Amino acid sequence: MAGIGQIHYSGVIKPGNMYRLLDNSEISLPYRLAETEVGYSKGDFEIKTNSAFEYRWSNNENELHLREAYITWYPSWGEVKVGKQIHAWGAVDGNNPTDNLNPYDYYYMFLPGAERKVGTISGSVKYYWNAWQMEGIFIPEHEENRFPFGEKAFPLDIPMFAPELMDVEPGSEFGFRVQSTLGSSDFSLSYFDGRDRSFSYVGVTDSMPSFFYRKTSVLGFDLVSFIGDFTNRFEIGYFSTENDAEVDIKTINDASYIQFAGQVEYSTENNIMLSLQIIGNQISDSILYYSRATSIDGTITEDDFQPGMGTPFASFTDLGLSFSASANYYDDALELMGNTFIDLKDSQSMLGASAKYSPMDNWKLILSFSKFMGEDGTQFHEMEDFSHLKVGLEFHF
Amino acid sequence: MNKILLILTFMSSAFSQTGFEIAKMVDEKPSPMDMSSKTKMILTNKKGKSRSNAMMSKSVDGNKKQIIWFLEPKDDKGVAFLKIEHDNKDDEMRMWLPAFKKVRRISSKKKGDAFMGSDLSYEDLSSRDLDENQYNRLDDGTVNGKDCYVLEILPKAQAKSAYTKHISWIDKLTLMGVKEESYDKRGKLKKKKEYEFQNMKGYHVMKRVYVEDVQKNHSTEVTFSEIEVDSGIRENLFQEKNLKRLPQN
Repeated sequence: MAGIGQIHYSGVIKPGNMYRLLDNSEISLPYRLAETEVGYSKGDFEIKTNSAFEYRWSNNENELHLREAYITWYPSWGEVKVGKQIHAWGAVDGNNPTDNLNPYDYYYMFLPGAERKVGTISGSVKYYWNAWQMEGIFIPEHEENRFPFGEKAFPLDIPMFAPELMDVEPGSEFGFRVQSTLGSSDFSLSYFDGRDRSFSYVGVTDSMPSFFYRKTSVLGFDLVSFIGDFTNRFEIGYFSTENDAEVDIKTINDASYIQFAGQVEYSTENNIMLSLQIIGNQISDSILYYSRATSIDGTITEDDFQPGMGTPFASFTDLGLSFSASANYYDDALELMGNTFIDLKDSQSMLGASAKYSPMDNWKLILSFSKFMGEDGTQFHEMEDFSHLKVGLEFHF
Repeated sequence: MNKILLILTFMSSAFSQTGFEIAKMVDEKPSPMDMSSKTKMILTNKKGKSRSNAMMSKSVDGNKKQIIWFLEPKDDKGVAFLKIEHDNKDDEMRMWLPAFKKVRRISSKKKGDAFMGSDLSYEDLSSRDLDENQYNRLDDGTVNGKDCYVLEILPKAQAKSAYTKHISWIDKLTLMGVKEESYDKRGKLKKKKEYEFQNMKGYHVMKRVYVEDVQKNHSTEVTFSEIEVDSGIRENLFQEKNLKRLPQN
C-alpha cells in the first residue's frame, strides 16, 4: 500500500435546536453545529483529525474543539496509534461499564457512541494473532469528565462552579484488553487502572472540604453471542476504588462496585430491529467503610456513594431497563426510532422517539422528542423540565 | 461411422448430465483468486424513485472473504463490512461503525435480511455450498440468445435458506448464471435476478446484477467498475483493522 499519499475528508453541518415540551422555550445549551474529519494516509501510515464547532444560539458563543488528532501506523501485525484519540471498548450498545479510557462530555451525555466522549492524549498498540487481539493503552495524564458547571438549562443538578481540586498530580493510566472468538461468540477480558473521571468529596483538610479523583481499577468482561435469531451482548465491570488522598479526615475510603449491561437484539421479518437492555450498578457492602466528616454538608453515607467511572446511566439508577425499536423505510430515506428507559428500583422513566428523513442524498431532516417522568425525589423528576423537542437539519459532505 | 458414433456418444453424455453434475461444473469452473471493484447500487421503489449507494469491495477465495467500504451517500462514508465464510462454523460478519468507534459483530444467521436496504439479501451475496442444495435439471432454455442449462435448486435444511427454491439459467458456454428466479418460504416467486458478465484475464467476471423483488415491486441494480482480478490481494487484508481505513487508490 505504498505510493502516493491520499487526503480524505468528511463532515457534517447540522444546525438544530431544542425546545421544552412544557412551554416551547428554547433550551440554551451549546451543541456541535459542524463536525469534520480530515485525514492523510500514505502507505502504512495515516494521520487523522476530528474537529467540532460548538455553538450556542442564545448568545452566539462558539468554540472550536480539536476532538482527535492522532497518527496510526498499520504494520502487518496490528496497529499503533499515538495522539489525542477516542477509544471504545465493550460489546453492548450505549452503556459500557468497561469503557473507561475516555472521559465523558456531559453536554452530550444523551448522544450515542463517540459523540459523548472527550479525546485523550494516549498511545495504543493492538496486536492481531489469528483470532486473538491484544491491546494496550497508555494515558500519560488523567483527564476528567467535562461538566456543564453553571449551566442552568442542564437537566442534572450541577454546581455553579467547579470546586477547587487538591493540588496533586493524578498521574498516568493504562489499560489492557484481550479479545478472541470461541465458537460463534466473541469475548474479551480487560483491565484498566486509573482514576475516576468524576471528582469525589474525599475528605477534610484544614477544616475545608477536599475534592479529588479516587484511584480506581476495573476488571472487565464482555461477550457477543448468537442464539437462534437473537444477538446477545453482555458486559460487566468490577470496580475497585480507593481514596488515596492525603487529607486530615477521610470520607469514603475504599469501595467496590459492579456495573453490568446485558442486551438482546432481534430483527423481525419486516426488518424492525428490536433491542432490550438491562443495566445495573451494585455496590459491594462488605468492603465499603467510611469515617464521618463533621460540620461540612452533613455526612457521607453509603447511599451517597456515586461511582466516579463506568456508564453514565449508573448515576441515575441501580437497575434499569431500556427498550428500543428502529426501522428504515423508503430505501433508508426514512429512519424511525423509539426508545424507553425504565428505572426498576425507583419510579422514574424516559420516553423518546426520533424520525430522520433524507429528501435527497446527503441531507437529513431530524425531529425527535425526549420526555422524562419521575416521582418526587427521583432524578428524572428534576429533569422533567428538560423534556424537549429537537429539530435539526444535517448536511453530510 | 466413427464420426456418428462420436456425435452420439457426446449427445448422450450431454443429455445425461444431472443437475448436480452441472452445478458441480459451475462450482469448479476457474474463478479469480481475488477481485476488487467499485460498486454502484441503485435502489428503485414502486414509484420509480431511485437512491444510490457507492462502495468499494475486495474479495478472495471465491468471495469467501470479502471486505466492503461504503463511500456514498456521505453519511454512510466510513462504514465498512467484513465477511468471512467458514465451512465448519457460522460465518463471521462485522461492521465498523465510525460514529461508535467500534467493530460490531452482527448475526450471520439472518441471511434473509436485506443488505443495505437493497433487494439483495446477505444470502444472495454469499456463495452457495454445493452440498447444501439439491439440484434438479429442467428442460434447457434460452436467455438473450444464450443456450442455457436450467436448474431447479432446492436448499436443504442445513443451508438455513430464506428461500424454498431457485430456478437458475446457466449459460452453457461460460457456465455463468445469467438469470435466476427465487421463491420464498410460501413457494411464491419473490425475486427475479439477471446477471451480466465480462471476460477478464480468462475469467468471466460479473459486471452487472439486476434484482427485482416482485412482491414489493422494488428493484436493485448493481454495477461493478474498475474491476481487477488476480492482483495479489493478501489474506491479511481481511482483518478488523482494515475496516477502519478507506482503501487507497
